[in-house]
Amino acid sequence: MLRSDQILATVEMVSKENLDVRTVTMGINLLDCRRGTVTETCLAVEEKIAKYAENFVQKCNEVAQKYGIPVVNKRISVTPAAFVGAGFSSSDFVALAKSLDNAAENAGVDILGGFTAHVEKGMTETDRAFIDSIPEALAVTQRLCASINVGSSQKGINMDAVAIIGHTVKELAEQTSDSGGFGAAKFVVFCNQPGDNPFMAGAIHGVEEADVVLNVGVSGPGVIARSLEKTINRKGRSNLKLDDIAEEIKQITFRVTRCGELIGRQVSKELGVEFGVVDLSLAPTPKIGDSVGEILQILGVDDVGAPGSTAIVAMLNDAVKKGGIFASKAVGGLSGAFIPVMEDAVLADAVAKGALTIEKLEAMTCVCSVGLDMVPIPGDTDADTISAIIADEMAIGMVNTKTTAARLIPVPGKKAGEHVSFGGLFGASPIMEVRNVNKSSRFIAWGGRIPAPIHSFKN
Amino acid sequence: MTKQFIISVMSKDRPGIIADITGVILDLNGDLADLNQYVLGGYFSMILIAEFDENVTAEDILAGFSHINSETKIEATIKEMDVPLEIEKQNLPAETFIVTVQAENRKGLVQAIGLFFYKREINILDLETTRAGKHYTMIFQIDLTLIQSIQGLRVELQELGKHEQLDIVLQHNDIFRATHEIGTPVDSLPLA
Repeated sequence: MLRSDQILATVEMVSKENLDVRTVTMGINLLDCRRGTVTETCLAVEEKIAKYAENFVQKCNEVAQKYGIPVVNKRISVTPAAFVGAGFSSSDFVALAKSLDNAAENAGVDILGGFTAHVEKGMTETDRAFIDSIPEALAVTQRLCASINVGSSQKGINMDAVAIIGHTVKELAEQTSDSGGFGAAKFVVFCNQPGDNPFMAGAIHGVEEADVVLNVGVSGPGVIARSLEKTINRKGRSNLKLDDIAEEIKQITFRVTRCGELIGRQVSKELGVEFGVVDLSLAPTPKIGDSVGEILQILGVDDVGAPGSTAIVAMLNDAVKKGGIFASKAVGGLSGAFIPVMEDAVLADAVAKGALTIEKLEAMTCVCSVGLDMVPIPGDTDADTISAIIADEMAIGMVNTKTTAARLIPVPGKKAGEHVSFGGLFGASPIMEVRNVNKSSRFIAWGGRIPAPIHSFKN
Repeated sequence: MTKQFIISVMSKDRPGIIADITGVILDLNGDLADLNQYVLGGYFSMILIAEFDENVTAEDILAGFSHINSETKIEATIKEMDVPLEIEKQNLPAETFIVTVQAENRKGLVQAIGLFFYKREINILDLETTRAGKHYTMIFQIDLTLIQSIQGLRVELQELGKHEQLDIVLQHNDIFRATHEIGTPVDSLPLA
């Protein structure tokens, strides 16, 4: 038997510090589902998902029971829908969205991701029809998440798409205005979107992937926060330097990643499905004690957004990546720290206090693993300003060769400072102020592409 | 021909005790096989298996221990094995589980859990307990080969915990191996 202190430390991580497997996501390739008609294609999609995901939720639950580690979410990602439905009209894509939603419901998963297009260099007629379908598709479905990749470090940023997407986000929020614009919370705009990310709303099953794979998303900001508190109390603040803290984060991350991989591989084995990657990302939930913002406070800023916040996120993100890389031979996805405003109670609190602004959040996204995530903004923000915020965020990802994303929610009828709540994992927050609105239209009107940076030409 | 003895030794702990005990075995031309030792509360305890020539008796070994020149007496129990031990087959099952139980200290805690396991044909493979002030911690490594439903067992453990005011957690041993053994690739677990 292992040493008792090691056993007790791990037991504590699970029972008191919110260590869990945040998501097991089954990626399914749908490219072979194309048939002569839209109806037949939709049927084939539902059948293929049903075939592979039939026992998925049950097996996840069985493995979680056996090992004593909760698997919080079971999800499905699919091949970007714009590829599956090449040649579809906008209404055809809405039909496909409904089929994907049905398939998710039948499989017993709460979210299915992959209602997606990749348009970083140019848009086909299909891509335009697809983008056009997004507001309705997300308004008439429950479980579907959409995403679009509009930029990459290799191809640059498709500003024609970015210009359209500002309107898409607004329309999406307006079509779901009875739920505070919740539709926009199910839509993410990406630069460098990974094909193996298990976390929603941006999970897809990349076209480079095998037929079916299982990717695992492990979280655990609470584990890191509690562990740092214990170390600081035990050793004393004056006896620790930041490199000691970074090392501690790395060590904890190692253990958390290994736990996740163990569970993921067991589910893979049970289902006879290839194991893909483990993605260790600090993904907060609105639950108390499960916050990335809290880690920033422990590390020395009184409010998230205060000077120093970016430096702390940089250290945190790097330490998490290093721990994860050492723990597993199959690390992928986003693997880092998320700072989704509505999903993190401490971040939302910083917004309420006026400590955290969109500009500071954007700075922090330069060094975190994703981007402007779950950011509620005033409903009357103009589409071009939304496009311009997205363009800024995409530029950060493109130049830094990292993933960035924007999930902006223009909450219909609400102003900055008013409150919005989606409940559950999607959380709540005051609406963030967008400064300098209506000042970017001439920029967005250009269209075309922002060329890829010089360091992309490595051939 | 050789014969096997299983030997249990206890004494107050001191430097040199292992050299003294294994010296007795060497003096009798014995061959040491597996050995396990532990120090608890300043007392040393060892259990070992050794092979000796046919003419060596338990009394010879006991006499050897009694001749050790030390202020602390060595107490030993020696048993000759009727059937040779197959040491290689003493391995743990491929899958084991860890149950941690924490509670305010009181009499009968280990017995209560031991009885719970016994009634369900759960074999305890290893056990470690510690008392720290009023707090008592037990860590059981158990074999659940004969258990039909782990979910059912979890429910029963939860009821036991509620009834007896115990904080009980059941987890697969591989969780602890994955989180603490750097050299064990996760895709090799469970190790057959």
